[in-house]
Amino acid sequence: MKRRKFIKQTAAGVALASFGGFTFQSCETKQKHITILHTNDTHSQIEPFDESHHRYANKGGVARRAVLVEQVRKENPNTLLLDAGDIFQGTPYFNYFGGEIEFKLMSMLKYDLATLGNHDFDNSIDGFYKQLPNANFDFVSANYDFKNTVLDTHVKPYKIFYKDGIKIGVFGLGIELDGLVNKRMYKETKYLNPVEIAQDITKELKNQENCDLIICLSHLGYNYKDPDKISDLKLAAATKDIDLIIGGHTHTFLPKPTLVKNLNDENMLVNQVGAYGLNLGRVDFYFDENNNKTTSEKTIIL
Amino acid sequence: MIQKNYLVITNVIKTKCVLMKKIWILFFLTFLFISCENSSQQVIKITAKTTAINPEIQQDSTYIKKFLPYKNKMIEEISTILSYAPKNLERNDGKLQSTLGNLIADLSYEKANELFQKETGKTVDFSMSNYGGIRSGIYKGNVTVSNAFELMPFDNTLVVVELTSEKVEELFEYFVAENKANPLSKHVQFIIDDGNYTIKINGKPLNNNRTYFVATSNYLQKGGDEMNFFVNPESLYESNFLIRNAIEEYFKNKDTLVASLDQRVIIKD
Repeated sequence: MKRRKFIKQTAAGVALASFGGFTFQSCETKQKHITILHTNDTHSQIEPFDESHHRYANKGGVARRAVLVEQVRKENPNTLLLDAGDIFQGTPYFNYFGGEIEFKLMSMLKYDLATLGNHDFDNSIDGFYKQLPNANFDFVSANYDFKNTVLDTHVKPYKIFYKDGIKIGVFGLGIELDGLVNKRMYKETKYLNPVEIAQDITKELKNQENCDLIICLSHLGYNYKDPDKISDLKLAAATKDIDLIIGGHTHTFLPKPTLVKNLNDENMLVNQVGAYGLNLGRVDFYFDENNNKTTSEKTIIL
Repeated sequence: MIQKNYLVITNVIKTKCVLMKKIWILFFLTFLFISCENSSQQVIKITAKTTAINPEIQQDSTYIKKFLPYKNKMIEEISTILSYAPKNLERNDGKLQSTLGNLIADLSYEKANELFQKETGKTVDFSMSNYGGIRSGIYKGNVTVSNAFELMPFDNTLVVVELTSEKVEELFEYFVAENKANPLSKHVQFIIDDGNYTIKINGKPLNNNRTYFVATSNYLQKGGDEMNFFVNPESLYESNFLIRNAIEEYFKNKDTLVASLDQRVIIKD
């Protein structure tokens, strides 16, 4: 490996000599690094839990999350902050202001992207739509068809980010709403098969968009006893080219991401960090140029 | 004039040359850029770390300043006085009924019936909710919005189920077996006499040739508290109206909250 790198650098050196002046260094040796920060199921938990709370006394709170996020951004400006849904419902802040303050604070925190959870329909799809002007970040969902709803064109299947020359594709997946949310609330929203949609979207992100990193923001839930119910673990095993699934819905607290073999028998990660903004998830991806690699070797340190 | 033209032409040539140079540099830079950016990047290492947001972490006061006005407005609204309670109302101050349970059952009936009639033109026969769903008492003094939240912190909504008379019988058997003050509305007269019981609904005995419309919460309808007789009704009407909002509305419309134990459940020894 070292020899290859040496040869390559020499070749670059020769190329340099003929043009003079320019340096390839920045492009050759700097290892690129993307940090993904994430939350899920924050459920309007704006303030820390009350000091009398039986489990989470004084824990959580947006003002603390902000300090952590800022620290990480200072450390690595190439950071994305993502949320896997269920931003709404859980404290009187939602009952009184319908999600306004949740979105405003998330905008202050400079969230980059989120997906919708079932509770985000609690004030109906119109209630969600009404709060959208308070969100300076986008929502993605690939398997909710919003064509005949107010959200048509406002929620895209995926979004692409460029950070330090790395192309990152992030798509969203939502849970089946029938039986979980009243139809009066989600109206003409159509739920599409998340596995099929994920397979199509990843193909597009990988082969047409040439993304270097593919992330799925999922509100499907981590895992279920019911073997027929789709979950993040099942989705991971049934797809390929997803590097990370950031999950929600089941309020599963994973001390570290779960390593899952995808359809190509390659390692990928599924993560979820409980609920109520009690934790901040972080996954760091380090990159190298593809052309001096023969196989997709990667080191995963969990 | 000629001189000028010449100048213009040389200028054009010069500009062209500079332009060509620029294009060339641009091309070269683009080449460099592409050679650098276009080769796809591959993940070689992944690390992960989840951080607990514990009390030790400092709070960014700009965020607190942002939500404080909302909090204050909320506190103000939540402490709005809606009504007055001349005496304590609790869920456990009677035998298989309670003053607070009766109040909740009756106001739930009124709201559910109002919504159901508007939608279907039909009348609800009675309501039943659950003892466990009443999370707090109402104590002598001012009654505020906060009381409604404490009473009903869950976002349960009113539903109306159509039950066969067999299912209604199951409901009363459950009531006896549970031996709890599960709130029933005043439309029921339930006489329990040493293990036997008689039921009257709106003054009439249970009729096996008809169905009954019963108001309850969406939580119980889904089988909460094992009220399985609600799970597969003949028909289901979902109002989507929060029980808490029904409570708040009722408080708003009453100067004084009056509720008493009455004849809806009679236990003969």
